[in-house]
Amino acid sequence: MNGTVNGQPLLSVTDLRVGFATQRGLVRAVDGVSFDLFAGKTLGIVGESGSGKSVTAKTLMNLLPSYARVEGSVMFDGRDVRELAAQKEKHFWGVEMTMIFQDPMTSLNPVKKVGEQIAESLRVHLGRSRKEARDEAGDLLETVGIPEARKRLSQYPHELSGGLRQRVVIAMALACSPRLLIADEPTTALDVTVQKHILDLLDELREERGMAMILITHDLGVVKGRTDDIMVMYAGRTMEQADTATLFSTMRHPYTEALLETIPRIDMPSHTRLVPIPGRPPDLIDIAPGCPFAPRCRYSVDACVVECPSLEGHGTAHVCACHKPVGTEAGIAARAANEQQGTTPTGLDMGLFEGAGSRSGTGAGN
Amino acid sequence: MAGSGTIQLRDDDDIVLRVENLVVEFPVGRHQVVHAVSDLSFDVRRGETLGIVGESGCGKSTTARAIVQIPRPTSGTVVLDPGSDREAELTALHGESLREVRPRLQMIFQDPISSLNPRRFVRDIVAEGLAIWQKDHSGPHSQARIDEVLEAVGIDPEVAATRRPHEFSGGQCQRISIARAVALDPEILVCDEPVSALDVSVQAQILNILEDMKQRYGLTLLFISHDLSVVRNVSDRVVVMYLGKICEIGAADTLYSSPAHPYTRVLLASAPEPASTVDPSDAAIGDEIPSPINPPSGCRFRTRCPRATDLCAAEEPQVQQLGEDHFVACHFPTLG
Repeated sequence: MNGTVNGQPLLSVTDLRVGFATQRGLVRAVDGVSFDLFAGKTLGIVGESGSGKSVTAKTLMNLLPSYARVEGSVMFDGRDVRELAAQKEKHFWGVEMTMIFQDPMTSLNPVKKVGEQIAESLRVHLGRSRKEARDEAGDLLETVGIPEARKRLSQYPHELSGGLRQRVVIAMALACSPRLLIADEPTTALDVTVQKHILDLLDELREERGMAMILITHDLGVVKGRTDDIMVMYAGRTMEQADTATLFSTMRHPYTEALLETIPRIDMPSHTRLVPIPGRPPDLIDIAPGCPFAPRCRYSVDACVVECPSLEGHGTAHVCACHKPVGTEAGIAARAANEQQGTTPTGLDMGLFEGAGSRSGTGAGN
Repeated sequence: MAGSGTIQLRDDDDIVLRVENLVVEFPVGRHQVVHAVSDLSFDVRRGETLGIVGESGCGKSTTARAIVQIPRPTSGTVVLDPGSDREAELTALHGESLREVRPRLQMIFQDPISSLNPRRFVRDIVAEGLAIWQKDHSGPHSQARIDEVLEAVGIDPEVAATRRPHEFSGGQCQRISIARAVALDPEILVCDEPVSALDVSVQAQILNILEDMKQRYGLTLLFISHDLSVVRNVSDRVVVMYLGKICEIGAADTLYSSPAHPYTRVLLASAPEPASTVDPSDAAIGDEIPSPINPPSGCRFRTRCPRATDLCAAEEPQVQQLGEDHFVACHFPTLG
């Protein structure tokens, strides 16, 4: 679970903060995120748009614009990644750590053949000759399950379907045998049938090569059963982090619970009333004190508005930042009190949650 | 997929929309055509939500557009209120007579922000339909209607009068689109992927609003999405499409609990959290969708279908009835 048996984590992020100065003020896109990732493991980062999950990934990949203000430390196998960035190290990103993006069309160069694009990183980073690189590119396309791989080498991206393009992108990412692969919403632009194939492929490749992987998504369904650990982000902060099974069986954060309840599930009968998360994510410029989720939370109490909860342990390798965690005595009491009053201290009408299950399988823990 | 036939049409007084043998083809040069929708037939009962689901390129959005006659279908008929004195055969109407029927069919789109004019005040956007169709559009009756629809979707009418679309979030813009669509009191609301561009937490808000609107204004919904869970949640009846043809059509819960068409089973097994009614092995098919310029002979799904035989290549399956409201176009359906 915590993987300490392997000794040092491969990637260790400590108190990462990323801000962007705008005319209206400083946008705190990532606000104190820490996590460890061990070799061969998969971490899922889940959150809505604006939660800071992609900014976190881009920080790791050194892809932020120069005006971004970054604080905190990122250690990769004992090396300081931000130090490497400052030294303009060329052979780290794309070699040790790579990333694949949501839209396979825009991450490929439309005027270069796919073979050349894959071969490029082999030649630049590993110093292969043209011929060697081309042969290896063909092998990579076979590895990612592209039929008639050799023929595809001389095709342009527009000649391939969305699923094949994403496979090409994965082949490019794998070219230099990275030790960490970051996949940012790798299947959001793809059809369900293709999505499953791509996720299965990533899983196989990770296992074969002993890579670590960070899978970023807004869909809890995608990470369920595919990752070792999950980190739920909201407003640039970690709300809850646990191993996947624990997160789904005994979630502690009201946001995790709300996120799971708001998604229609395929086995729900038609016309099941959905439980929305009222309101919308907070502005990241003038961050109010207190918990960023408090205005949308049905468990909130007066303290939530005043004081921001810190991450606290709930059993092995399970942390959650909440004053009134779901399924604990305090949480149950807070929600019951809000239900009795009809509103939460932040003025949220509890009637909105009518029919909301407490089906989150809580109460088991502690 | 994939078949033709009209057995799934219901003989019912309360049908509000009937689509028969709809064909949409686009010329692509060198005497080739894209067969986007081929011989599609279905109907929608008043107050019902019909979900259309399928992968990209299956013709679901083209179907929606052909129904509202933008662009006009190549052949086939689209009839509004068949059999009543308000019957209107959209495919036979032209010019002014078609324009007069248009308020009865309204549409909302996937990207809420680009479907609103960024230079206009939100209230004016919502009021535009009334401004065109109501003589007293600045009168108290129309103004009250605008206030009402805005409040129904949870937008403050006062705020809407002084703000432009960019001052609202994506979810709010989709609410505004819904308000604009229902302001003219349409019979049918065509929703083309209305929640696909929204965050999951906002998606549920919009789906609930659509449900409320349906109750409040007696709307009939045509709901198009690639998300199987969303489609099941909102729909009374579901159509599964593949390469421009119907695979399976039936009551939502029946179709999801006993999927008969191999393609439906593939979709249900491929979802991130697969449906419990199918086996994970059902998802085993290739990635490549054949070209709609040269669709496969016989059943169009046969090139990816685990059950395909020579019969599937030779003969196109016709839609057959399996249960009370459950139809499938397949030579070898799974029988519940």
